[in-house]
Amino acid sequence: MMKAIAVFICSTVLVLFGTMPVQAADVQLHFFWSEGCPHCAKEKVFLDALDKKYDEVTVQDYEVGHHSENIALLQKIGDTLRADISGVPFLVVGKSYVVGFLSDETTGKEIEQKVVYAIQNDIPDILTTIDSDKENKDEVIGEMTIPETLELPLIGQISVQHTSLPLLTFLLAFIDGFNPCAMWTLIFLISLLLGMKDQKRMWMLGITFIVTSAAVYFLFLSAWLNLFLVLGVVMWVRFIIGGVALFAGWYFLRDYYVNRNGGCSVMGDTKRQKFIEKMRMITQKSSLFLSVIGIMFLAVAVNMIELVCSAGLPAVYTKILSMSSLQPWQYYMYLFMYMLIFMADDLVIFITAMVTMKAVGIQSKYSRISHLVGGIVMIVIGILLICKPELLMFG
Amino acid sequence: MRVIKIGAAWCNGCLVMKPRWQELEKEYSWLKTEYYDFDSDADKIKVYEITSGVLPVFIFLDRQGKELLRLSGEIEKKELVKYIEKFKNS
Repeated sequence: MMKAIAVFICSTVLVLFGTMPVQAADVQLHFFWSEGCPHCAKEKVFLDALDKKYDEVTVQDYEVGHHSENIALLQKIGDTLRADISGVPFLVVGKSYVVGFLSDETTGKEIEQKVVYAIQNDIPDILTTIDSDKENKDEVIGEMTIPETLELPLIGQISVQHTSLPLLTFLLAFIDGFNPCAMWTLIFLISLLLGMKDQKRMWMLGITFIVTSAAVYFLFLSAWLNLFLVLGVVMWVRFIIGGVALFAGWYFLRDYYVNRNGGCSVMGDTKRQKFIEKMRMITQKSSLFLSVIGIMFLAVAVNMIELVCSAGLPAVYTKILSMSSLQPWQYYMYLFMYMLIFMADDLVIFITAMVTMKAVGIQSKYSRISHLVGGIVMIVIGILLICKPELLMFG
Repeated sequence: MRVIKIGAAWCNGCLVMKPRWQELEKEYSWLKTEYYDFDSDADKIKVYEITSGVLPVFIFLDRQGKELLRLSGEIEKKELVKYIEKFKNS
């Protein structure tokens, strides 16, 4: 009898405690987060504590705001789990996931339960499933991958990865530069400046206007970029910007077709009249200093008002930029490059007028060509943003 | 025949058209043209009813002041020549 009891006790001890180490498995937690996301920061603290509490747990973290490869991984996991990956924090435990993080007591408790379940039931890691899928897919779509280099006549071999983003920046900024929204102000300013005798004053006021306009545009681009970096991988934002690109593409192509003779719309002349009067007043001030200050304020005001008119292309461009994995200084370098190219036509118009002492316009046929090219580019970008965003992730 | 030209100091297309008309006015010395600014000559151009559409606007009038043709936007020089020839005896 005693022997039977001893066997029972030993068996019970083995069942209760002995089985634990045998069944316990390493569990990888895949934590997707974004910089500037407060809920991600809270969850990170919780996961660090969880990591220390359970020896079996390892936390792999993936920042998605600046790393396109992490976004791509999240998208694959989303596809595999059929999960909505429109927000972070996003945590994968075995084959289940938790989106968002409220507190240690609510979401934290839920995560811990999933972790304990995964430890006890030896749930395979999600990445092993994805890797085996990827191998199978690679065999099938191996021919569809984008080449890393291209051989171009005259230019030679170029790296697709390193050339695409500068090229796209040049193209979109150049097309954006032909946007007539704020151009009328510069043309009117030139007509006022040409009536002056003082060359120094002419150059000072013109350059002040252009530099201030450029600064406003740069701030505007930076605001878009930072908004997209904070929103990170949020899917609906990508869809909305994809929609904006498609709309802009349609608008450009329509304008190319409809507005064959170019010309300047006479609509909204009340707003324009006010600016014209103010500009006359400012340029005629006897003090150059006051004129310069006045022109700066006017440039800020007119560019702010016209921002709505010219919001489409910068929004699309900065969205693409935010999806690329770059260093912070590289983001701003691209924005600076965009701004310079955007302002190039203004500079050409101004300098030509100052040198020849004649106001010159840019023939509408050039802006029509830019609208045709821009329309096609924007439609392609819109489709890619919605269907194949990974093709727009550079760097 | 005379041509009324309506433009504005802020309009890119008007700047593009300016040298084209200067050339035509030299080539057709008999051609009478009048320029009005959309903003500063608002009272004078009221009669032409330009409330929508695009600038510049070119209105071809006969001797009696009756409107023969109205063009707007950037017009190629050869097209302007075609209409000047067509209406020169009007």
